[in-house]
Amino acid sequence: MSTLIYLSSSPYASTSLKEALDLALVFGTFEQAISIAITGDALALLVEEQTPNKRQGKHLYKLLDGLEFYDIENIYVKESEVKAFGTSLWTGVQAISQEAWINMLEQHQHIYRF
Amino acid sequence: MNYSLFITGSPTASRACHSALDFAEAAVTNGENTIQGIFFYEEAVAIATNLAMPPRDECNIRDEWSIFAKQHKIPLYVCIAAAIRRGQLNESEAKRHEVEHFVLADEYQLEGLGSLVSLTLESDRIVRFK
Repeated sequence: MSTLIYLSSSPYASTSLKEALDLALVFGTFEQAISIAITGDALALLVEEQTPNKRQGKHLYKLLDGLEFYDIENIYVKESEVKAFGTSLWTGVQAISQEAWINMLEQHQHIYRF
Repeated sequence: MNYSLFITGSPTASRACHSALDFAEAAVTNGENTIQGIFFYEEAVAIATNLAMPPRDECNIRDEWSIFAKQHKIPLYVCIAAAIRRGQLNESEAKRHEVEHFVLADEYQLEGLGSLVSLTLESDRIVRFK
């Protein structure tokens, strides 16, 4: 059984992404199969060399390199969105086609959207 | 079917907590379904304050959930990290953070996200209200 954390909120507009990643880390801590899908406004999470101050929001990009220590290795983005984004993004993601995206969603028993 | 409910919408800025209670009442009406637990996260944790005083001629969603939970012996979990970030402390958290006041209403329990993981594993369906 696997669970997907589906991120589409902006990392700086609310605490939603922070609380989503907290949930992903707890699933990892409990050794449950967990994947992450990142789309829409949430792609800003992956932008390299971002330097938010405390008032702007938590520096969530810094968490990304630690995900593998929680056995969170399947992190999906859409190929088309990455191409359209136009700036370099964190490289620990798998960019997949729209068709593969739909298949990926169907492979998870539970999806938590943030 | 064994359900758990995952509620993230604010009790004042959304209808999430209200719709979830409608769903929960309907789910247990005919005795065919069970509800494993309710998990409040993000802005929904605001439901647990015993200092919110809606006008008497309006729905008090905090108390309605408390009554339903007690009647059906369903736990009302409130994410501890999300709650203390927003000021929803119980007595032990107030002591731990060395503040004088605490506001968590009866029937609501502060729990870690591990409890949501457990509900996810133990339930046939998780239904989200945001």
